[in-house]
Amino acid sequence: MDHVAQDGILQQESATALYFDGASSRRRVVRLVFGDALGISEDGAAPALWTYDDIRQVDSPAGVLRVSCLSAPALARLEIRDAALSAELTSRCARLGENRLDGRAVGKIVGWSLAAVASIVMVVLFAIPLAADRLAPLVPQAFERRIGEASEVQIKAIFGNQVCDRPAGQAAYVKLLGKLREAAGLDDTDVQSSVLSTEVPNAFALPGGKVYMFSGLLTKAENPDEIAGVLAHELGHLKHHDNMRGLIYNGGTSFLIGLLFGDVTGSSALIFASRSLVTASYSREAEQNADTVTIDVMHKLGRSPKPMGELLYRVTGKEGGRNLSILAGHPLTEDRLHRMSAEDHPASGPPLLTPEEWTALKAICGPAAVAKPRK
Amino acid sequence: MGRRDEFVRLVTRGAALELVTAGFYRFWLATDIRRHLWANTLIDGDAAEYTGRGRELLIGFLFALAILVPIYLVYFWIGIEVERFKEFASFPLILAFYAFGQFAIYRARRYRLTRTVWRGVRFWMDGSGWAYSWRAVLWGFFVVLTLGLALPWREAALERYKMRHSYYGDLQGDFTAKPSEFFKRAWGYWVAMPFALILFPLFPFVYAHFKATEWRWWLSGIRFGDVRVESTLPRNAFTGLYWKVIGWYMLASFALGIYFAVCAGVASLFTGGFAQSAGPDAIVKSVLFLVTTVIGYLALMLALNVVIRVYLLRDLWVTVLQHVQVHDIGAAANVAARGDLATALGEGFADGLDVAGF
Repeated sequence: MDHVAQDGILQQESATALYFDGASSRRRVVRLVFGDALGISEDGAAPALWTYDDIRQVDSPAGVLRVSCLSAPALARLEIRDAALSAELTSRCARLGENRLDGRAVGKIVGWSLAAVASIVMVVLFAIPLAADRLAPLVPQAFERRIGEASEVQIKAIFGNQVCDRPAGQAAYVKLLGKLREAAGLDDTDVQSSVLSTEVPNAFALPGGKVYMFSGLLTKAENPDEIAGVLAHELGHLKHHDNMRGLIYNGGTSFLIGLLFGDVTGSSALIFASRSLVTASYSREAEQNADTVTIDVMHKLGRSPKPMGELLYRVTGKEGGRNLSILAGHPLTEDRLHRMSAEDHPASGPPLLTPEEWTALKAICGPAAVAKPRK
Repeated sequence: MGRRDEFVRLVTRGAALELVTAGFYRFWLATDIRRHLWANTLIDGDAAEYTGRGRELLIGFLFALAILVPIYLVYFWIGIEVERFKEFASFPLILAFYAFGQFAIYRARRYRLTRTVWRGVRFWMDGSGWAYSWRAVLWGFFVVLTLGLALPWREAALERYKMRHSYYGDLQGDFTAKPSEFFKRAWGYWVAMPFALILFPLFPFVYAHFKATEWRWWLSGIRFGDVRVESTLPRNAFTGLYWKVIGWYMLASFALGIYFAVCAGVASLFTGGFAQSAGPDAIVKSVLFLVTTVIGYLALMLALNVVIRVYLLRDLWVTVLQHVQVHDIGAAANVAARGDLATALGEGFADGLDVAGF
């Protein structure tokens, strides 16, 4: 049962303990002498003296009291396996348990953690959006274009690299884009745009001024104003540097949230959820601002923004109730249609394209694209 | 081995505190778990001791963060530059992070080892994290090229490097297990794995058997001077543990399903259907829905964390210890103390890169 007894060295079992002096791994059976300080003596050698107030408990298995001493070598250990002797030593050492993480220490950890969380939330909600808004316009055009080129290569790899440029259609497209660009107050060098042949009905702007219109959206459009509204929306993104802002914002938040909180309690999915919540609200705001540009530009040209809302509605259908609206990166299509309809004035300017130009634009990818109307 | 209920209480309380502190408590929880396991691991009648502290891990993590931030920015910038020339050309950069992760694993092991004390003498480690890292990367390539068949050789080579740079006082470590031995015992699992992946209920059996084989081979190769370790772990030693975890997982998921059903029912009682109105009302509803989802999900994750730590950390370790014999321990009876403490920076990197062990 007891090591000490097995060793057979000792008669007075109650006063013996195991001692490791921290300089070697030798297991010493020692006698404890309770004087002014704790005396630890081994076979008549000069005893080590441990001041009671310096003695601290360290980890040990159940049934063993293991202590160290602040004024002794750091790894010197005394092990007592006898309950009475343990009690004797415990009663003399007032500060035995000071090593342990007590309730107050845990409370401190919790308090500081909450403070850290609050500060991170503040940074994510206020500081990063502010930084993104201020920094995005300062990013040099050349750098922005580089980022744009990088994503352009990827996008062409995904959607195919088929640029539509039948001359008549291209001329109409350039004319339409030119009018919108001027009305939006952007320079000629700011914008390059082309039509990509893919059935996906979409359009987007890349950092550095690249705007892509997918032929799928042309197929669904019924008049030039619909396409003009969408293009004006994308120009709005360029004007507000939304890509750079989004990049800085997304990069900042995911970096902060992800790296600081690490992957604990399997909460990475939770982090992902909360991050998409804040970034979605941020991008909804950007979309709304781009819609504002559409409204301004169309009014300036004497046309109505309403057709764009109608085109979007035709593409997406009613969105409310289908997904979680606060997770959506765009405002709901019906809300956008509603807003565009409210801004609907009777046309005061000339049509943006002649009927012939409109037909040519719809056929920019070849006649097949027109001949294949899709539901 | 220490009391199981004590460990269960420790990890349950730790999981709750992790939740309250948004994860910051993980440094102290990892420390508490190690302290419990170390203090209850007895070698030749004397228990080991873990002397690391949560505060050290936190500081190591903060330093690692300060170093990782610029690295992430450079990584981002290089990624953009190379993507301009060829799509998805930035993929090799992932390799750089893998190498960095291996470096972190080595340095984290060094921290843990220098906090491990037995009979008043600490273990310690030298060698270079980068030397280990490039070995790990090259062997990793080789393992991929051979579809995993070279795994025993990789493990033996890396373990040899780690153990030959590990010391107990002035006693140098070594690793003598033969990779061919591991291959002989484990090639069957390599053959069985594709079938196990298709016939899913087989998978835990195959995996648990493989793990037990690996542990046994690994432990039997460990040397410190003349001290030898031998393991007689049976192949089926872990099977029950893995099935218990799966059982708890299914039970918890089932409970979560019921919870969601009840929540949805209550919600529709209040509002008469979920998907009807739009506008601010819909937003309030989706916020409610999100909050209940998050609560349920968190509870599930916390419960599973407790289950995994109890079965796959503590119980697994207890099982391993029950089948270990240490021979010629007399060689460690009078070892002189040597070696310095390592910083927790490696643990910080491992945490920041998500390659942390326990």
